[in-house]
Amino acid sequence: MLAVLQVTLAGLVTGSLYGLLALGIVLIYRTTGVLNFAYGAIAAVSACLMYILLTGPRVNFWLALGMTLVFAVVLGVVLERAFARPVLNAPVFTKAIATLALALVLQTVAEGLWPQLAEIQHFPTPFEGHALRVSGIYISLISVVVLGVTALLMLGLTLFLTRTRLGVAMRATADNQSAARLMGMPVGRIFMLVWALSAAVAALAGVLLASQQGLIDVQFMDPILILAFVGAVLGGLESLPGALLGGILVGLTDNLLALFLAGHHIGALNISDPGIRETLIFGGFVLVLLFRPQGLLGQAVLRRV
Amino acid sequence: MATRKTTDSTTPDARATAGQPANARAFWARVIAARGWLGALGGLLVVALLSPLYDALLGTSAGFQLHRLSLIGIFIMAALAQNILTGYAAQPSLGNAAFFGVGAYLLAWLTNDLGQAYVIGLLGAMVACAALGALVGGPALRISGAYLAIATLGLVFITGALLDLWDTSAGRQSYDLNALPTFLTEDHGLYFTIFAICALVLFAAHNLLRSRVGRAWIAIRDNEAAAAAFGVNLTRYKLLAFVVSATLTGLTGALYATWATTASASMSSADQTIAFLAMIVVGGLGSIPGSALGAIFVGFLPLLLDQLPSPIMAGPLQLQVKTLTTGIYGILLLLALIFFPRGLSSLGTHARALFARRTAQTTQEGAP
Repeated sequence: MLAVLQVTLAGLVTGSLYGLLALGIVLIYRTTGVLNFAYGAIAAVSACLMYILLTGPRVNFWLALGMTLVFAVVLGVVLERAFARPVLNAPVFTKAIATLALALVLQTVAEGLWPQLAEIQHFPTPFEGHALRVSGIYISLISVVVLGVTALLMLGLTLFLTRTRLGVAMRATADNQSAARLMGMPVGRIFMLVWALSAAVAALAGVLLASQQGLIDVQFMDPILILAFVGAVLGGLESLPGALLGGILVGLTDNLLALFLAGHHIGALNISDPGIRETLIFGGFVLVLLFRPQGLLGQAVLRRV
Repeated sequence: MATRKTTDSTTPDARATAGQPANARAFWARVIAARGWLGALGGLLVVALLSPLYDALLGTSAGFQLHRLSLIGIFIMAALAQNILTGYAAQPSLGNAAFFGVGAYLLAWLTNDLGQAYVIGLLGAMVACAALGALVGGPALRISGAYLAIATLGLVFITGALLDLWDTSAGRQSYDLNALPTFLTEDHGLYFTIFAICALVLFAAHNLLRSRVGRAWIAIRDNEAAAAAFGVNLTRYKLLAFVVSATLTGLTGALYATWATTASASMSSADQTIAFLAMIVVGGLGSIPGSALGAIFVGFLPLLLDQLPSPIMAGPLQLQVKTLTTGIYGILLLLALIFFPRGLSSLGTHARALFARRTAQTTQEGAP
């Protein structure tokens, strides 16, 4: 029982990380219609920069975090101007492929600048080695931080989107771009803001993931991104709470399956293999989509003829 | 269509007024009208001549170079399969790499373990992928847009994991094909076989897309509701697109395994699916020449980038070509998408529009 609780907690933590990434993916998709496959690369590049700041000039952790977030915001703005704007009116599919190309470029730049990160490095944090013990369950400090940051960020984003003029303008742009433009909203600047905001979320998620694993390399986001996408789609691609929920579901399922399948065999087949786990997760995901094609919290689309 | 009409309507006037150069214009108009056939003929000629040319120029390494070129023939078919599904029937599926791997493994299994003839292996791979395509296409009809894209990407991961599991439980790294017919293990034989199949497939696709089926797909893509209102059976034709695309991708996977003489689980990976998509997006959605152009772009680029010296020094930076290749590839892909968002095949449309404008202008100048 204790093991189940412990694993559930671990699932919540990894799930929150998927959820954070899913949040950023949904934010960009909803407002600008870009299915952003470069999201993992943005997170990875930011986290790599932070690693360099921490190990090279030995900047204080919090200062380095601040600098990384500023860098991410700038990166978001630059990407919107130099990359997203020129392909704005291209078909959705073309834009998705363009983000894949962008991911390749970002990774190459990072690898060229910091060749030591082509191999796995240790990511130093002040949280390392600290853990709480609550009635028999161990919670590492970083897990608490991940859960706390996710909750705060979700709260902050929701408040921002519902209570501030800018947030409402962002939602209006997402709902109907041309109407928003006609109402005098600076759609271009809102797009820039969305990219900057989601890049900052990506950087935060990247740093949290690197801190939680204690390890980092240029491609450390790649296996995570696809699960974050599954989370985003599971939640409905349109809804921020849905994205978080979807991410957490994926994380929980992954961890619980790992626990229950460990050491079991069907005939000669070792079902504790990660491949089987992945298959089950994707299989379940497709099943959910069959019953709710618009995701868990997404609304069914009315199509006008 | 519109551009052709303008050239046709300007040429008779031009002939009447301007004499000799007008004949030249009429000739070029006819050339443009027949460009599809000329392109096909030119392509066949290039493919046929490259082999003796390589033999003459490259000597002993000709076989190796032809082998590398053969891959582009395989990619053209894979791009075509993706384009039929995505560019014509408008299903944004990322699942084709799944069939790519399944086709390869089935060929390996049928020829190696069951000792069947190579042709039986190919047919088996195609039939199995057709069935799998129908199986996937059924549920896929309920899901649309980005949801379908991610769900089908899931299929690729599942297939890759299962194929990998098959390999590990059989105690091998990848599935080597060691019962291939001898002419396919020889570079020239492989080259001609692949491009012959490729030509047949392109010809068949050309006709299919101009038949009732192709028109139904295009109608669905352009306006689903209107297509349904005109009596196009959406379910049947979307399912058919999945089956046709899966069958062709299965064949392509089997041929790829033949080319590599091994089938590996990495054939069903996100990277592979991305490569297929990059081909059709670069080349042009909903265009057969576009599929070919995109496959050539994606297939050739790494070959060209391989020729760069390594490592490249850029000021204080010492760049390994291996990492650089990915980056340059990404940048070129980005540039292609930014400047030709409708694909490289739209280049032809631009050129024709320009030509039509110029003929129209010269006619007007000559008329008064």
